[in-house]
Parts: sequence; C-alpha cells; structure tokens
Amino acid sequence: MKKVTIFGLSLSLPLLVWQLLFFAFPLVFLVALSFWVVENYRMVPDFDSVNWTKMFSRGVFWDTYLRTLALAAGASVLVSILAFPCSYGIAFKLSANLRRLAIFLMVIPFFTSYLVRVYSWQIFLSDNGILNAAFGLVGAGPYTMLNTDFGTMTGYLTLCLPLVVLLQVFSLMFVDRTLIEAAHNLRCGRLRTVFLVIIPSARVGIVIAALFCFILTFGDFVSPLYLGGGKPPTLSIMITDTTKAGQQWPRAAVIAIVMIATLLAVAFSAIGYAYRKRA
Amino acid sequence: MAETLVVFDDIVKSFGDVIAVDRMSLDIRKGEFLVIMGSSGCGKTTTLRMLAGLDAPTQGEIRLGGHRINELPTWKRDTPMVWQSLALFPFLDVLRNVEFGLKMRGTDKATRRRKAMDWLERLGIAEFARRDISQLSGGQRQRVALARSLVTEPEILLLDEPLSSLDAHLKVRMQAILSGLQKDLGITFVYVTHSQSEAFSMGDRIVIMSRGRIEQIGAPVEIYRTPHNHFVAEFLGSSNIFRGRVVSVDGGLVSIETGRGRFRVTGSGAGTAQEGTSTVFVVGNDRMVLSQDRPADAGNFLEGRVIGEEFIGATVTIHMETGDGQEIRAQKSHGEIAHLNTNVGERIFASWQPESAYVLPGEIDGPP
Repeated sequence: MKKVTIFGLSLSLPLLVWQLLFFAFPLVFLVALSFWVVENYRMVPDFDSVNWTKMFSRGVFWDTYLRTLALAAGASVLVSILAFPCSYGIAFKLSANLRRLAIFLMVIPFFTSYLVRVYSWQIFLSDNGILNAAFGLVGAGPYTMLNTDFGTMTGYLTLCLPLVVLLQVFSLMFVDRTLIEAAHNLRCGRLRTVFLVIIPSARVGIVIAALFCFILTFGDFVSPLYLGGGKPPTLSIMITDTTKAGQQWPRAAVIAIVMIATLLAVAFSAIGYAYRKRA
Repeated sequence: MAETLVVFDDIVKSFGDVIAVDRMSLDIRKGEFLVIMGSSGCGKTTTLRMLAGLDAPTQGEIRLGGHRINELPTWKRDTPMVWQSLALFPFLDVLRNVEFGLKMRGTDKATRRRKAMDWLERLGIAEFARRDISQLSGGQRQRVALARSLVTEPEILLLDEPLSSLDAHLKVRMQAILSGLQKDLGITFVYVTHSQSEAFSMGDRIVIMSRGRIEQIGAPVEIYRTPHNHFVAEFLGSSNIFRGRVVSVDGGLVSIETGRGRFRVTGSGAGTAQEGTSTVFVVGNDRMVLSQDRPADAGNFLEGRVIGEEFIGATVTIHMETGDGQEIRAQKSHGEIAHLNTNVGERIFASWQPESAYVLPGEIDGPP
C-alpha cells in the first residue's frame, strides 16, 4: 500500500471534505427524498415508491426525457462537426503565433456570463430582431427563430462551441505528424487522411469534447427556456415545474436521479469508446 | 552498367536561411542498395524526403524513371518509406496496417488480405496479424513497417534509419533480412543512416554526405580503402591522416614532407601529385605495423607512446601519440601484438609500407 503522508493529506483533505459535504451527502439525501411523500403540500419522510411509479408511468415524462436526450445528443454531434474544421485549421494550418491568438479568442467568450450571451441572442433571434431585419432587406422572412428548437440549439452552440474547439485543438496538436506523412506516402489523399488517420488518432480528445458538450447541454436550463421557450420542456425545466406544482420535491428528485444516471451511463460508455484500442 | 532509376539534378533545398541540400547531383540505379550516410544535419534525410515527395526541392529537378516528379505529391508517387519511428498506425491492427496501402489503391478485400498475409508470412509475423501494434516487440514492428511498404510491390523503397532503435543483436539480424529482401525482390533500396556498420554491411554503393553536399560515392571497399578527401577519411576513422608538402615525384613514388619527417608514398593515386603542392595521405589503421624497437628500414615510421587500447571482437586498436601530439591508430589481431608491451606510456613505433599509403585525390592541389 502507498504511504499516506501528512503533506499529501493536508493538500487533498480540504477538497475531499468539501466533496463529501456538498456532493456525496446531498446525493444520498436526494435519493432518500425521492421516496418521501407529499401530504397537504408538505413533505413527509417515508419509504414509498409512489413517486417513481407515478413518474415512470407518465407519457409526458418519457417524451421529455427522449426530447432532452435527443437535443443533447444532437448538439454534441452538431457542435463536434461544426467545430472540427475550425480546430483542424487552428491545429494544422496556423503558425504558432496565430494558433496562440486563435486559442485566446476561443477563451474570450468565457469572460461573459452565459446568461448574458443567451439574452443577447434574443435580440438577434426575435421576430422583430436583427436577423429578421437583415432577412427583410433581401426580401426574405420573417422566420420564427425564438422559442423553437432552433433557438435552443443556438444557445447550446453558444455554450459549447468554444470549449469543444479548444479540446479538439489540443488533441489534434498531439497527433503524430509522421503518421499523416506515412498515410500520404501510402497514397492516402488529404481528405481521406483526415478520416482514416487524423480523426482516429485524435479520437480520445474528440470524444471527450463531445461528451463535455453532452453533459453541459443535457442539464442546461437557460437555453431551452430563454431561447427555446420552455414548451415542450426539457428535463431541467420539468424539475422546476414539478417543484412549483404542489411542492412535489420528491418527484423532482426522481427526475434529477434519472438525469444523473443517464449522464453517468453516457460518460462511461463514451470514455470506454474513446480509449478502446482499435478504431 | 545498370539502368538509372532516379536522378537528382543539381538539387538545392533550403529551409529559410538554412541550406539543407546544396547543389546535389546523384544517380540512383535500378535494383541497387544505395546507402546515404552522414552525421546528423548533413542533408541525408532531406534528400530521402524529397525523393518521397514529403519535401519539395527549392531548385533543381528530380526525375523518377525519366519523368520530372518535383511537383508530384507524395500520394501520387510510388515511393513508400520506412520511418525511423516506423509510423505504424496505432489504431489499426497489424493486418490492417499492412493492408493500408492496398486499400488506398482500391484493391478488393480478398486480394488485399491475401497479399498482406503473404507478406506477414514471408517476414515470419503471420501469427501476429490480429495483434495491436503496441503488443509487438521492436523487431516485429520493424517487419510490419517493411511489409506495409512492400506489399504494394514498389520498384523503390526508402528507409530512414529504420534500425536505429534496435539493440545490436537485432540490428544485425534485420540487416541480413533487409539485404536478403533487396536481393530477392531486385528493387532499389535507398537507405539513410549515420551508422557505418549498417552502411558497409548492406550497401552496394555508399553516398557520404556532409553539410548538404556529397563528399564521395562508391562501393564500400572503394570508400574504405580509397577515401576521396580529408573529410571522408576522418569520418570513417579507419585511417591515419597525414598532411604535408610534395617534395619530389618520381613516377609512382612520391616523397612527402610532413612536420614529422619525410615519407615515401607509392599507393595508387600518388602519381597525380605535383611537386611543391600540399597534400594529404592516409594509412589504414590495419596497415600499421607496431614494434617496440626502432624499425631497421629508416623509411616510414613514427615514434610515440601508447595512450590507450580498445578491444572490438578479435581485434585490438592501439592508440599512440607522437611527440608533437598526433594520434596514430593501429588495428591488430591479438596474436600480432602478443609479444609487445602495450601498457599506457610505453614507447612504441608504428611503421608502414610505402604502398600502404594513399594520397587523397580530393586533396591534391594544382601547381603552386
């Protein structure tokens, strides 16, 4: 067994205690809460599976679940595809100085609150907004963009694109250049090399980037509400709706646990896929 | 004379201000094992990369089979290369690595598989076909890299120091495999290395490069026995080098005055020297004769003290130093020096026959 030193312990202990107090303990409480019951708008500790059976038997719960899953998965794929050409250009085509500048530009969006960025999108996307005004100039539109899935997706892109580009850039920068030369040398053309050599070589980073996008969007509340309109809801909107309707915290806990379980399952299978040896 | 396959015609390659290859011209023959040798930064790898199409020449023309290929991208050439790092694809198994080039050519799956398996069998690694690259030893990876390059039946194979990461024992085995393959296939191998033993054991011809230029091209024995100039002689380290002035030329017999005495040289090439010019001659390490007593013949000998000895297999190289600080090396068998006292500091004489000395043709000056 490895020796535990006081030095190592003093460094790691505060965070361990923090995690225990504010993550592990609330999580256990959340599970317990999901078995409580609500009587006369008041929660009563109990061990009743009624919340689980009620939630799981509702069609609207499953519709919302699948919708949230589809939106998050769609965002992960879309963001990864949109980000890749940009990451590829930054990693392979720019000089070292320009690459640093590009990476800096990708960090700048994080300086502003995500909520502020989403609000500013409303000005662009609304029926009388900037985009529709621009479309009007060329005789097109107006298009309804706010309070649609398009709006939600725009918010998701705002949230994830810079991060995904950064993660992809770092993984692409570590791709062995001689592998690319070797592929060319074996008569693999440039575009084909991207798919047959570069993407498989950078697979871990690309999958992890998409996974981050999934995690961020699956639980996101801001974009689906302020840009997507919240109807039909996503799971996080459903949680707030459930708590407001008759103090149903136990049923909200069921939704939260289902979300955590889904994220864990997706995260583990994604990491498993990323580190699998062969393509 | 064999047909020429590749021509480097007055090639220059510069990277910014750095000139990697400087006006180089070289013919590579069909079916030969050509070794390009030099220390790091001499331009040997750049030369190979230009032939592969991975770097474009700044100036000059490269012709393959008579056609200019300067502008042809590497994926349109048939010049497969084996990298120093091998550059095997870690995300593909052995078989798929070997099949890669065939797949790119659109060969159908069954043919691809058969050809790849044939090569794996030929190189004795068929049992590893389904393994990951990371599960193979260095020597096995080497063979996968070879199979991957040769499976497309090219007429030329480029190798960039492929053996440098192997231990000595494996190196010798791989050298034998490479030589054997090259003879069996009858194709051209262009092999870049900094290792003399690799160059001399495999090469039909050796090109010695330094600072972007070719110093000498020739068969191994030719280069070994008759180095062209001071650089080559020093690079090989197999000869003792003496610089001096030609004092008389009498047919094939040349007298050269050095700071350490006047020496007679009758070896080949000596006759072209001219009186009064400065020149350089060499005496092979193995042509030196050692004795404890002053040699009877008052001709070519030097006196010095032993400064060390070095054992390589059955031979011993005695290092001695003359009074004015020139180091002399003599390579002998154990038997030849058994009667000598070769302790460090002992007085010793090195002598040689006039015909063992060789005037470097690259160091013969014009008339003074």
